[in-house]
Amino acid sequence: MVTRTITFSPFSRLEGDLQVNVEVQGGQIASAHASGTLYRGFELMLRGRDPMDAIVITCRVCGQCGLAHSAAASAAIRSLAGISMPPNASVAVNVMMAIETVLSHLTHFYLSFAPDLVEPPCADKAMERFLPPGGRSISRALRAREDILGILGLLAGKWPNTLALQPGGTTRPVDASEIRRAHGMLGEFTEFVRDQVIGCEPDRWLALRTAADLDRWLGEGSHAGSDVGLLVALALERGLDKIGMWPARFLSSGGWPDSGGRMLTRPGFYDGHPAEMDPARIAEHVKYSWYDPSEGGVPPFDGESEPAPERTEAYSWTKAPRYAGQPAEVGPLARLVNGADPFVMDLLAKYGPSAFVREMARLHETIRLLGEIGPWLDELDPEEPFCRETPRVESGSGIGLVEAPRGTLGHWMRVEGGRIRNYQIITPTGWNLSPRDSEGTPGPLEAALVGTPVSDPDRPAAVSHVVKSFDPCLFCTVH
Amino acid sequence: MANLLWIQAVCCGGETASLLNSDHPHLLAALHTLDVAMLGHPYLHRQTGAKMEQLLAECAAGEVHVDLLVVEGATYLTVPHPTSWATGKPLAEWIRAIALAADYTVAVGTCASFGGIMACGRNPLGATGLQFYRNERGGLLGADYRGRAGMPVVNVPGCPAHPDWIIGTLWALRANRLTASDLDRFNRPHAFYGKLAHHACPRNEYYEFKASAAAYSHQGCLFENLGCKGTLCESDCNERLWLARTGSCTRGGFPCLSCTSPVFPDRFIPFFETAKIGEIPTSLPLDVPKAWYVGISGLSKLACPERLRRNAVSFKPAWRGKEAQSDDGNPDHHV
Repeated sequence: MVTRTITFSPFSRLEGDLQVNVEVQGGQIASAHASGTLYRGFELMLRGRDPMDAIVITCRVCGQCGLAHSAAASAAIRSLAGISMPPNASVAVNVMMAIETVLSHLTHFYLSFAPDLVEPPCADKAMERFLPPGGRSISRALRAREDILGILGLLAGKWPNTLALQPGGTTRPVDASEIRRAHGMLGEFTEFVRDQVIGCEPDRWLALRTAADLDRWLGEGSHAGSDVGLLVALALERGLDKIGMWPARFLSSGGWPDSGGRMLTRPGFYDGHPAEMDPARIAEHVKYSWYDPSEGGVPPFDGESEPAPERTEAYSWTKAPRYAGQPAEVGPLARLVNGADPFVMDLLAKYGPSAFVREMARLHETIRLLGEIGPWLDELDPEEPFCRETPRVESGSGIGLVEAPRGTLGHWMRVEGGRIRNYQIITPTGWNLSPRDSEGTPGPLEAALVGTPVSDPDRPAAVSHVVKSFDPCLFCTVH
Repeated sequence: MANLLWIQAVCCGGETASLLNSDHPHLLAALHTLDVAMLGHPYLHRQTGAKMEQLLAECAAGEVHVDLLVVEGATYLTVPHPTSWATGKPLAEWIRAIALAADYTVAVGTCASFGGIMACGRNPLGATGLQFYRNERGGLLGADYRGRAGMPVVNVPGCPAHPDWIIGTLWALRANRLTASDLDRFNRPHAFYGKLAHHACPRNEYYEFKASAAAYSHQGCLFENLGCKGTLCESDCNERLWLARTGSCTRGGFPCLSCTSPVFPDRFIPFFETAKIGEIPTSLPLDVPKAWYVGISGLSKLACPERLRRNAVSFKPAWRGKEAQSDDGNPDHHV
């Protein structure tokens, strides 16, 4: 059989620079290699610096999830210093992280994912909504941002690149009138979600428990005419439930902890059944990455990031993170599977870990998080403190694991003589778009692309759907 | 309609993210008002792969006219840009070629303007801004570069830049309302960089009386102890406000790091505390002579009202109107 090799680069409407090389046999992808191609050297930049500098510098890894990076850096320093945040700060961080995630998911949906579904020819109704740059739904989504950005402004001052998340808590106390104002802005944003995104009250959506519930929902009222209703129809029509699958294992560090340490979504490693997640089982491989070679998997605390662009067997600036020696998928789907969300578990049972289910999990999480913000705002107590002091620590190590919009994000920091000795970052897209490891095992996207049909190399619609279902951020990946 | 080509170089996507945060107008309305077509943009263009390279070649050759070239991110001088965003040629070379064909070149963000975060520390990869490397003229395009309309690179720094600064600069260029005399010594438009971040900071009353916060989340001024560079930072952040006009760095309770400066970030270390010799900060407010600062700040501290002295080191108002009593104990003299 004839094998053709095709290179896709760059992808349009994607965060950062991604190159995908595929071998096509009989009209289907037989193997895929994913490369992150932009190197910036953040980990080396941090060496020798004051540990607190990590908060300033790592949030600049990514313009879209910088708040998660500064949360991870603060958490790493917090673990290094052995301190905790006051309850108000935990709640404020949850609100900020939830807003960053909601914004990220909706930006992905409206500006990246949905436009691929309406490449002409397509139903006029869908094109009119989702075709960039002027699609009506895109326009409404951009206008609605200000309602929820306003809450972020009250709590974080500025974004991207807020420094409000300190190891000891948050820098911005809020008073009762500001909490009131935040509720008002949340209400306006929820109106947009109700009228445009799902076409129903969020509670109606959150009552979905099974795939059959989704079918019933689509048949009710004007739901089929909402943006998500349209997405479901287009995605199933185009077979997104049949592409993008791999023998999925799902990793999550658990997201949105309350002050008692309970999490909105549980940490775990799901490989057909739930299991505890142990950060000590994370290691990174560089056999196929442009860094100085090392044997097998290296724990992040000992990781090195010396560039070696001359290495010919390497093909990516992304390292290959592995959990217990295996590739793992992270992100909204992984969070909701580990959190045993009934709706997502049933979609997974019916449609498999496909591009369709990944996208549905992202939208479902958006609605779930939005519903948490109001109760969290009510938990803030203006009479109680938001921040404690952080003692200086001369030596030791700290780890910060958070759930960024796109999945599990980890910062590992070693400090000696009051200075950063080593800093290693493992990002969500690092997990999802990892290259092959020392054993030659492909990363999740590389595996998920196998079997994807490729008819016209100039219009690789199915390839693009699979890639984007992981919501890759190449800025984060290669840092 | 004018053509706008937006190129992401060595960046984090933060300028694009900030632009999406634009309100009044939101981004699509802004593009409509500007009457520009996005030839290339990470979200709003539709080219993939070889088509993108073809577009860049046509822009460089002048076959497609570029009215506005916008660059986000630094470029690498010493190593070829390792990205294959445009296959076959380092991105820095594409930018050089297209900048010569474009009417105007605009550097959005501190990295594109001066190198910024991407050029911090030892800068082993030689990251640089388009026409400046830190505060020295030169950069990728050289000090003598002029676009076809006769202008140097217009710098719109900030980490990230405020969406108003980006859209406002593009608007002024489209309307022929921006000339070389409207730019400051670092080629930033006076309109946005002619003030200080300090102006309209809600902590200014604390600043005046040197009533300083001792720890984060306190209400006092962040200048004396907590590393705030707002009195050095040329921007209008606290007047313009961010995120649906609800915040700014100092309103968020953390120090301004002067991110619009060509020497951001390394000249502003330590970030979170104020470097001092004795009691005197080593970086004094812009244009304020040291002797005056020492004299005035000593007097202000002596004159500081009790209300400010107490609130400065508290996370919530510790001194409330009617409960307050003036120093002479007379409740009628409350502040």
